[in-house]
Amino acid sequence: MNNLISRAKELLESKTVNVVIGYEAGPTGLARPAFITDSAKADKLIYDERCVQNLAVYLTKAEVKNFGKMAIVARLPVMRSIMMLISEQQVIGDNLIILGISEDNSLLDIASISVMQGYIDKCDLGNPSKDREILAELNKMTPEEKFSWWQNQFSKCIKCYACRQACPMCYCIRCTVEVNQPQWIPVQANAHGNTEWHILRAMHLAGRCISCGECGRACPVGIPCHLLTMQLADQVWNYFHVHAGTSDKMNSVLSTYEPNDKESFII
Amino acid sequence: MARIGVFVCHCGENISATVDCGKVAETIGKLKHVVLSTEYKYMCSDPGQTLIKEAIKEHNLTGVVVSACSPRMHEPTFRKACAEGGLNPYLCEMANLREHCSWVHEKNELTTEKAIDIVRTQVEKVKLNSALQPIKVPVTKTAMVIGGGIAGIQAALDIANTGHKVVMIERSPSIGGHMSQLSETFPTLDCSQCILTPRMVEVAQHPNITLYTYAEVESVEGFIGNFTVKVRKKAKSLDEKLCTGCGLCTTKCPQKKIPNEFEQGMGMRPAIYIPFPQAVPNRPVIDREHCTYYIKGKCKICEIVCPTKAIRFDQPDEIIELQIGAIVAATGFDIKHADFFPEYGYGRYKDIIDGLQFERLASASGPTSGVIKRPSDGQIPKNIVFIACAGSRDPAKGIAYCSKICCMYTAKHAMLYKHKVHEGKAHVFYMDIRSGGKNYDEFVRRAIEEDHVNYIRGRVSTIYERNGKLIVKGVDTLLSSMPVEIEADMVVLATAGVANSGAEELAQKLHISYDSHKFFAEAHPKLKPVETNTAGIFLAGACQNPKDIPDSVSQASGSAVKVAALFSQNELTREPLVAVVNRMGPPLHSTCVGCFLCQAVCPYQAIEREDIKTRDGKVLKSLAKINEGLCQGCGTCVALCRSKSIDLHGYSNNQVYAEVVALLNEY
Repeated sequence: MNNLISRAKELLESKTVNVVIGYEAGPTGLARPAFITDSAKADKLIYDERCVQNLAVYLTKAEVKNFGKMAIVARLPVMRSIMMLISEQQVIGDNLIILGISEDNSLLDIASISVMQGYIDKCDLGNPSKDREILAELNKMTPEEKFSWWQNQFSKCIKCYACRQACPMCYCIRCTVEVNQPQWIPVQANAHGNTEWHILRAMHLAGRCISCGECGRACPVGIPCHLLTMQLADQVWNYFHVHAGTSDKMNSVLSTYEPNDKESFII
Repeated sequence: MARIGVFVCHCGENISATVDCGKVAETIGKLKHVVLSTEYKYMCSDPGQTLIKEAIKEHNLTGVVVSACSPRMHEPTFRKACAEGGLNPYLCEMANLREHCSWVHEKNELTTEKAIDIVRTQVEKVKLNSALQPIKVPVTKTAMVIGGGIAGIQAALDIANTGHKVVMIERSPSIGGHMSQLSETFPTLDCSQCILTPRMVEVAQHPNITLYTYAEVESVEGFIGNFTVKVRKKAKSLDEKLCTGCGLCTTKCPQKKIPNEFEQGMGMRPAIYIPFPQAVPNRPVIDREHCTYYIKGKCKICEIVCPTKAIRFDQPDEIIELQIGAIVAATGFDIKHADFFPEYGYGRYKDIIDGLQFERLASASGPTSGVIKRPSDGQIPKNIVFIACAGSRDPAKGIAYCSKICCMYTAKHAMLYKHKVHEGKAHVFYMDIRSGGKNYDEFVRRAIEEDHVNYIRGRVSTIYERNGKLIVKGVDTLLSSMPVEIEADMVVLATAGVANSGAEELAQKLHISYDSHKFFAEAHPKLKPVETNTAGIFLAGACQNPKDIPDSVSQASGSAVKVAALFSQNELTREPLVAVVNRMGPPLHSTCVGCFLCQAVCPYQAIEREDIKTRDGKVLKSLAKINEGLCQGCGTCVALCRSKSIDLHGYSNNQVYAEVVALLNEY
């Protein structure tokens, strides 16, 4: 952690970056995102198991972009999010300095995007093991059982869109749900509209989800909506052998065709 | 307030036999905003169209639904009628009651109900139609001809003579193509070079033609009237302006043992070479693959002997970008070689040659100066066998088609042989003699009757060598399949004509279709034989299928007319049914976030990047932008866009949604 603070100070003092995006301890003891612009305040930075939010979500916000050069505290999911954002042309890689955090919470020396790519390549890119277990259970169900299980989950949804706000890949300035000409997705929270929203969100993230699980964690009513996108991430891996967020130059896996693509899903 | 007119067509009995058109018109007439709903036997007829035109004026219609056949044929008819009636043509929609309903269902109430549903969706859609204006795109009046064989030469000259600029691209060092390799041509036996070389010179000297030899198409972007073509000018390793074509370098080059492509490997050439004496342009190139300097780093003899110091060893390939309005693909064909035939020894026997090699042997400018000498020992063959359909019409070899030219050139070869070797015997094994064409059959008869060529109807099963003779074993099917065995001194295979090397890659660069044999596909086998499915790209010659010279030249002139017709207009008019990215005032500018995933899925490369900049050039935002000239309105980008920032004119999300909702709602 001391390494992190001294590195952040160094970057701010040398004006290499204008802001360091990291975590600080909030008043209740929970970690919260921090935007450090003054090297004197870099001491507030923390990094421990409380720091769960995917900070990459801030990189696409206009007010954050205005900082220009920035450093960001990034563990694996954040790094993968950054890769996706660069490949989808939402973030300029040259503007970023990655303060990489390893599995054992120590500071990594990540000098460039290609070094980050090397680090990502060595990591396990599958879904987190606890989610894998739940998915395995769900996949044992019949389609009818699965549908009613999800209907039950979706019935809790209050359409607050916290799942969308927490997701770094949901960066559209106008979401489909806000389109009202025509009104594709009903505004009100009802069983039908809730299902539509969750299916739509999952489909928009197919092949793009980097399995950080933030959407499910952010849900105030406890819908495990991250399982939907993680299941799709699994399927994309099975069909196309691609993990999202592994390169800053990757093509969108579901909208590009490769001659050796499996076509077994075409009925 | 929308005022919709609905016109239900009986299509004779095509629709009215199964659909109760009266009931459709009556039911639709009760819908909200429908001010007129009527029926007629033939809407597309003159009275039918007049009915629409007058109704537009009389009822002050704001939208028209013609409930008739598929829009493919008659949408333009009815749009035109609406325009004449004073309504924007894009406020007219068609409900397809024929292909989508009456033809596929029996006569009953459900069929009529389905017809009503189809019309209802279109009524809801047309209410949301907007008046669109046709898109005008400019035409760059420069044509590109790819390939400098006889087809390319003819096309280029014809286009150039209409007064338009032509760029000709040829990948080998000289234009002329296969025709320049031929000795004589059927059915007149006039010298191929004598009739071709003046045309080659004309190409080089024509003020409207720019010739790039030793050049290949690198990429093609754009659309009809507006292609951007990148051409790779391969390094010739010499300064063409300084070189006088004296040829001294070619005589001094120490590498002399490179198989000569022009002689079909029957002769040798140096590493710096002019392909043949009549080459256009008559300048050498260095074959870097075989040049001693490029292999070993030492030599440069050509540089030393060159009187004008024109050699440039460090010359790089050059990529030039050209603005082109129309493209003629005239890339020609190739033939299978003897190594394709296991039954004839896979090319092991030197005296089994292919038709093009025989052309070089018979040519006065060839390696033997026109004396028919067999390759193995230079003896004049006394007994020669020609085998037609070597590979062609043989599904077992994967070539089911007839190569078309072989019957004629085999007769020509046998005749040339007999004219040169009077005492020799010529045998031709054939399956059928296909000599359709002006004076063609007479030509074959002449070979048989005047030159006494022995035609044997049957195929050759095998050829093997015995005591220095090639034993040709076949059957004569006109003599009850009696086995025939001929001791030949030389065998000439009329091998199948196949697509040229690189045809598939070029077709992909041009975005034109090709068949399973990699021959380029025409837009319609009968009525559009020179057009491709890509507007503005035409075909000439054997790149489409094997063709003889007269056919290639006719088709080249045909494609030249198509190009000239295109260039006769200053602007092209396109349907405005294209996608559009929404735009709004700052600070958002658009709901597009610039992920450019649409760019990857667009099959027409119609999506560009647009940077919104401040006055001092700072990029505020990058957006997707649709090129209206390229967009075909397929809607793939609309479906893909997560933020629904793209919409399709004429098929907007709102319109499609209204159609679906109409079906779900009671009426």
